Amino acid sequence: MPESSSPSARVPVEERLFSLVLALVATENGLTKNEILSTVQGYRQRFVSGGDNTSLERQFERDKDDIRDLGIPMETVEPPGEQGNNHLLRYRISKGDYDLPSDLTFSAQEITLLGLASTVWRQGSLSAESQRALVKLRSLGIRSDDPVIGYAPRLRTRESSFEPLRAALERHTTVTFPYLKPGDSAPRRRTVSPLALVQHRGRWHLYGRDEDAAAPRTFLLARIVGAPRSTSKSFEPPEGGGSAERALAELDALWRSQRATVRVVDGSDAATRLARRPGSSVDLGGVITLQYTDVDILADELASFGPEVEALTPGDLRAAVIKRLTILAHAHAPAEED
Amino acid sequence: MASFQPMHAQDKLAFLLSLVPYLMDHDRVSVADAAAHFGVPPEQIRQAVRLIAVSGVPGETTQYQHDDLFDIDWDAFEQDDEIAITHLVAIDESPRFSAREAAALIAGLQYLSGLPEQADRDVVGSLMAKLSRGASAAPSEVAVGSGDLDEALATIRRSVATARSLAFDYLNARGERERRTVDPLRVESLDADWYVRAWDHGRQAVRTFRLDRMSGLDVTDEPASAEGRDVVLPETLFQASPDDLSVELELSEAALPLVDDWIGGSERRRVDPDRVRVTVRLAHYGALTRLVAGLAGLATVVGPPDARATVERWAGDALANYATGGGSPSPATGPAR
Repeated sequence: MPESSSPSARVPVEERLFSLVLALVATENGLTKNEILSTVQGYRQRFVSGGDNTSLERQFERDKDDIRDLGIPMETVEPPGEQGNNHLLRYRISKGDYDLPSDLTFSAQEITLLGLASTVWRQGSLSAESQRALVKLRSLGIRSDDPVIGYAPRLRTRESSFEPLRAALERHTTVTFPYLKPGDSAPRRRTVSPLALVQHRGRWHLYGRDEDAAAPRTFLLARIVGAPRSTSKSFEPPEGGGSAERALAELDALWRSQRATVRVVDGSDAATRLARRPGSSVDLGGVITLQYTDVDILADELASFGPEVEALTPGDLRAAVIKRLTILAHAHAPAEED
Repeated sequence: MASFQPMHAQDKLAFLLSLVPYLMDHDRVSVADAAAHFGVPPEQIRQAVRLIAVSGVPGETTQYQHDDLFDIDWDAFEQDDEIAITHLVAIDESPRFSAREAAALIAGLQYLSGLPEQADRDVVGSLMAKLSRGASAAPSEVAVGSGDLDEALATIRRSVATARSLAFDYLNARGERERRTVDPLRVESLDADWYVRAWDHGRQAVRTFRLDRMSGLDVTDEPASAEGRDVVLPETLFQASPDDLSVELELSEAALPLVDDWIGGSERRRVDPDRVRVTVRLAHYGALTRLVAGLAGLATVVGPPDARATVERWAGDALANYATGGGSPSPATGPAR
């Protein structure tokens, strides 16, 4: 922290945080802020008795957030009859809420699988958090089995809107973002209260309440073309959760209900890969029936196969592929002015 | 696998809080064993133990007296590099997961829910319930839909479990089909795409295969060869090769992440406020046409000229399919390769 350079700022941050957790777990009745700042390692060295401790108090506020971020539940207790008096507020960490339930056990196979699950994320907050969860799991001392074959799974969150949306989802903050629907010439600003972030068939979607439409909507992160901005409004998510499950179920239902037919060139890469796509069925005459969620995403995929595939139905898919190929041919035609 | 290296004070705190119950459960453990268990360098364990050993609670005197602090067997630590906690303070159990930590692991598990390792029973469902119960608040609503994982995975796994080679027909991106015999080394994935890296008997080298390009998979009677066993696989799925083609692309800034895998260390040259030029490296033009055609309108090949011409021809051939009229069963035009 740049703001303080007192000589005793030498106590490392992790030592101060560790000491704070220990002190708050050990206390039965809680400690007041003043008691914490004057006695706990890392604060006491900087505490000025009877003086101005404003910067130290701010430090304590930030430390509280850092500790709560780790899933450590810090309680505040108001002494009876003294409600509203901040100076008498007592802080503590209840052992029962801190400890992982003692009957929670994991087999070696489960530890292996969780270790693998933690490697799925290689970037961003999901990676840092799953690594931390894994460290906590390892504290149980359970050995993991070596899997039969090594796995290196990797799931990305490439859209830059992912982290700000995840933060808004946690804080229940309504956000706005420019959303470009295919076929529209300009993005439109949408106001959304985020309820879930789900990855469906390789694509990240935001599920939330569209405040202008006053109804739930699903947005493709790839079509959010500018940074999401938090509004000052917060909202109450539905009781009991289940939004992610609902969003995935809706996307699945959509995927099952929409069918496209394409003709593939026998023996081509398109013939092999499209036939292997989940939900595909191969018909006579090199025709494959595909299931899909979004006509424009399927059109991108089909266009990348070029002459190996011809989109037959529905008509809007066929038109979307032709449009892409036309743009592509035009953009790569020999430049006249060169 | 990359080892865990705490960067932030928060991560260091989580490590300290996790190390204490582990050490408590082990009366005496070597620094080396603890390091191996947590997947960290031994020095990180020693530093943490030194800090734990002098930490504690203010206590009744508020003076951090001896009894208020953790203690360890210092002789064992200094002389034998062994850790034995002799006095505990305040905590003795593992900390709970945060809602976000539990959510991150749950989403990772969901992604892997089709792996053959867990096909026989609902391991994922039971683990998700355990993680939720071990979290300090309800895990946040981040989820990954269960993909239908490729059926090839089960056969690949059987090949490894029985130490027999795997044979399959493979169509590479150049359009060449061939029966390949390999010893699978590692299964990798990138979002919805799955790959296997294997020792290829015919090539006498490690090759990467896309699962959805493999067909006619068979576990052979041939024992897996020894050659592949000692190969150290690189961390990244796509390696640049000196034979790669360099192609200059112009694209909108927003589309940059979509070509991330091919950019490598290429610098970005801005042409106007929202368009940039980058150099991508690809094995052959087959990969280039795939990449650029999937980004129609977003990315354009600037050069070299034959790369542009290849993309134009590819798009033109594709359009010719459609010129014959709406979905009539005409024989497919032979694609130019």
